[in-house]
Amino acid sequence: MRRNSGQPFFVSKFSRVTAVVLAASSLLLVASDSDNAPARIPSNVSWTQETVAAASSGDAFRGLLLAKRCEHCHGAEGFSATATTPNLAGMDRLAIWKQLEDFRSHKRTSRAMAPIADSLSALDVADVVAYYAKLPVFADLQDNRVFPQSRPDPNRAATALHLISFGDGERGIPPCQACHGPVAYRVGVPSLANQNGDYILSQLEAFASQQRANDINMPMRTIATLLTEEERHALAEYYGSGLGQQAGRP
Amino acid sequence: MRIKPIVNWRKLRIFLFTVLALCIIPLTRYHQIDEPILRYLEGPRGVDPLSLHLAGEFVENNLGTEQNADGSVTLRMIAQQYLFVPHCLLVPAGVPVHLRITSADAVHALAFSGTGYNIKVLPGTISAAQLWFTNPGEHKTVCREFCGAGHYAMRSELKVVPRDQFPVLRPGERGNCAAQ
Repeated sequence: MRRNSGQPFFVSKFSRVTAVVLAASSLLLVASDSDNAPARIPSNVSWTQETVAAASSGDAFRGLLLAKRCEHCHGAEGFSATATTPNLAGMDRLAIWKQLEDFRSHKRTSRAMAPIADSLSALDVADVVAYYAKLPVFADLQDNRVFPQSRPDPNRAATALHLISFGDGERGIPPCQACHGPVAYRVGVPSLANQNGDYILSQLEAFASQQRANDINMPMRTIATLLTEEERHALAEYYGSGLGQQAGRP
Repeated sequence: MRIKPIVNWRKLRIFLFTVLALCIIPLTRYHQIDEPILRYLEGPRGVDPLSLHLAGEFVENNLGTEQNADGSVTLRMIAQQYLFVPHCLLVPAGVPVHLRITSADAVHALAFSGTGYNIKVLPGTISAAQLWFTNPGEHKTVCREFCGAGHYAMRSELKVVPRDQFPVLRPGERGNCAAQ
């Protein structure tokens, strides 16, 4: 007992026993924790007052300079030349901000957006969204936008209009306009009035197949799963043809 | 000469019912209006409605029916504008169902059609209730508190299955009828 020469015998024994008990109990704790699956977090964004303040404090002029990199896909005026790429002009800044934050934290995956979002700082994101939120949405003949696409098939348009304004109470599908406007909005929800149809369709399908899973508390994953293939096409076609603004108006 | 009765029953009746009404009105008002407002003004108690998805018991892979060791089940749900999550619920018949539900935004009320259950759901607090579904069948899950523009479409489904048909859940696994 040379090592413990300064202490009485029982102290060292007691501490040894305690150590063994502690180690065993910590092992047990670890084992009981592993029974529960780790929490799946859809998005790191939580709409607290600080988050909203940080997302709204961007400098639009600095954003204009930063947005030169976005022009190639999203268009010089925020309207893209391909229908599968989203239009950003005049969109609610919190909506774009959340998506960029999710791209930055890899909660939403995209081959095109991942490297771009990785290179942006938190400050850059706020600036870029401040710029896009200020862009006008009216038509510009010099622009190469594809946005108001062809008029939808009347039968499909009726389906879409019914879903947009009333939803389907029997299946529990809330109306699109209750969150996506023009009747009501929720924090961080994009307006769909000026969005490309093919992009909306691709996102509805990604939500339905759980490939895109960054919606907080899973509203869109639930709704997209409830919609039929035909209804997804009808909605995408209706919004893509620029009729979304009139959906809530008498 | 008319004899004045000792007890005027008509007057007594009017008096008693007035007293009863005067008691019931403030009591109802307190339970239906003041108490929810006071609870709301107290601030978040239990859970933060804005960060349900980040940590705690209402993270998305913990929602649904959980099998307890004693045979009962725990049903965890989120009410939000304008959906109940998970959208399709699955519980076994004839066992206690411990419901735990919270709101992510507005005030909702969860009701099951064909039953008397009506549970008020407030943001920031966990509404806990013990439910009991005796017979297998299907119930509509509806919101009975006006919560916004899509309120009337806020409904989903609850499937009550016989105990032997309820799937055996692995630890960490949560049941809902979308998985069936």
